[in-house]
Amino acid sequence: MAGVAADDSAFSSAEKQAIARHGPWPQPVLRDPSNRGSGNADAIALGRALFFDARLSVKGDMACATCHQPARGLADGRDRAQGRERLDRNTPGLWNVGLAHWFGWDGAADSLWSFALRPILNSLELGATPAHVAKVLGGDPAYACLRRNAFGKAAATKASDDQMMVDAAKALAAFMETLNSGKSPFDELHDVLARGDAAAVAQYPADARRGLRIFAGRGNCAVCHFGPNFSNGEFHEIGIPYLLGAGRVDAGRQGGIKAVRADKFNLLGAFSDDASRASGSRTRHVTENHANFGQFKVPSLRNVELTAPYMHNGKLATLRDVVHHYSELSEDRLHQDGEALLKPLRLTDAEADDLVAFLRTLTSRQFPAVAPPLKPTCEPRK
Amino acid sequence: MKRPHLNQALVVAALPILAGSGLAWADCEATAGARRVEGRDVVLAFKTRPAKIKVGELFAVDVTVCPKKGTVKGVAVDASMPEHKHGMNYKPTVKKNATEGFTATGMMFHMPGRWQFAFEVDSTAGRERLLDTVAVD
Repeated sequence: MAGVAADDSAFSSAEKQAIARHGPWPQPVLRDPSNRGSGNADAIALGRALFFDARLSVKGDMACATCHQPARGLADGRDRAQGRERLDRNTPGLWNVGLAHWFGWDGAADSLWSFALRPILNSLELGATPAHVAKVLGGDPAYACLRRNAFGKAAATKASDDQMMVDAAKALAAFMETLNSGKSPFDELHDVLARGDAAAVAQYPADARRGLRIFAGRGNCAVCHFGPNFSNGEFHEIGIPYLLGAGRVDAGRQGGIKAVRADKFNLLGAFSDDASRASGSRTRHVTENHANFGQFKVPSLRNVELTAPYMHNGKLATLRDVVHHYSELSEDRLHQDGEALLKPLRLTDAEADDLVAFLRTLTSRQFPAVAPPLKPTCEPRK
Repeated sequence: MKRPHLNQALVVAALPILAGSGLAWADCEATAGARRVEGRDVVLAFKTRPAKIKVGELFAVDVTVCPKKGTVKGVAVDASMPEHKHGMNYKPTVKKNATEGFTATGMMFHMPGRWQFAFEVDSTAGRERLLDTVAVD
């Protein structure tokens, strides 16, 4: 950044290019061809109701919203999720989840609807069975009506328990596709830079501006936290321990690849509505190697301020701790064949504060209301 | 990136030798949007679909291989980031096309930066590895 003062409001052309890569925002959420309920108003209404409905759990005491709490960035504020027992991983936030291709810290789900099935079936979470979900869906007249409207009359009358459960998951996915946050102060900067409005650019806080320069420059953060959603959607090992205790490890992406390949609900399987199976291309081609061990998904940084604590195991309590992790990264803890790009950033305290200030400007100013419907209603469609 | 180009006179002189191989060197001359790599035994031209590679998005590569001698039996396609010391997270599938060439599907570059394509060509003249580097942003 020769010739540019650290807190100068003018961005260089390289910095402008780097900023431009993180927009525009919002991004369109494309309909999921594997989910015939995607974008369907009745599927969305059913998914919204199910998201808050504890009847989906086998004991009737836990819903999706138990852990994905609207007031906590659709996460839970815990280091590790609390189901029937304390789980091994941090609850991921759900804002903008519809933009992803892999789901979960290990990417063991290749669609948003198969992602929704995991906590439903996990005995340590909702602990339901296909028959239980089918009973909930079929036993509530409004749910049955919404399902018939969304997924078709024929499917409604001849469906197996598995199919009923998948329809519930597809409705949940259709609802989650609507969880898109609005513009953040960073997006406003992106837009005014594109318009060449220097006065408006100067409104972006000086500390965040300095942090942005580190993020997009010598920090190399944008290599993985790439694009409008600040994630390349893939998996990396960054020196966070994967030991879970005596004799237990979290294999991360390695386990995720094995799981998604074995999953009968994956995008190559019979439950996908995409007849071409083109949406399953990632699943078809994903390759497993020993570097996948201990890799975890690169999370989006949008609204990251709302979802502390951080990392797959919630080990880092604050954004300042996350920045410190990268600043003082222990190269000895990284895989020998890991990402050669990772080096300790050796930030000063002031630089670390600036980077945190930048990350806070990724918090959206507007969010759609996420609340349960008072009582779902449905008019049957002919 | 500077790429080698065949001397046109050499191409013309070589054509008779290629009779029976199906493709002549001219088929691997640079065409719109294609990149060209010359090796010991073969010349190779390739195009990506879509033409602009987007970080994190799957793409395909259409490959034409023109042997200087012998016939081509097959091609394997891979890519890596030499500076980062890692390859792709996806393994492409290569199929022979009806029109002599090959198509690799399931390619994906998951980071911006310098990526190196690697084409392993198996021909009756032997096995040869051809490299070409592109910048992705």
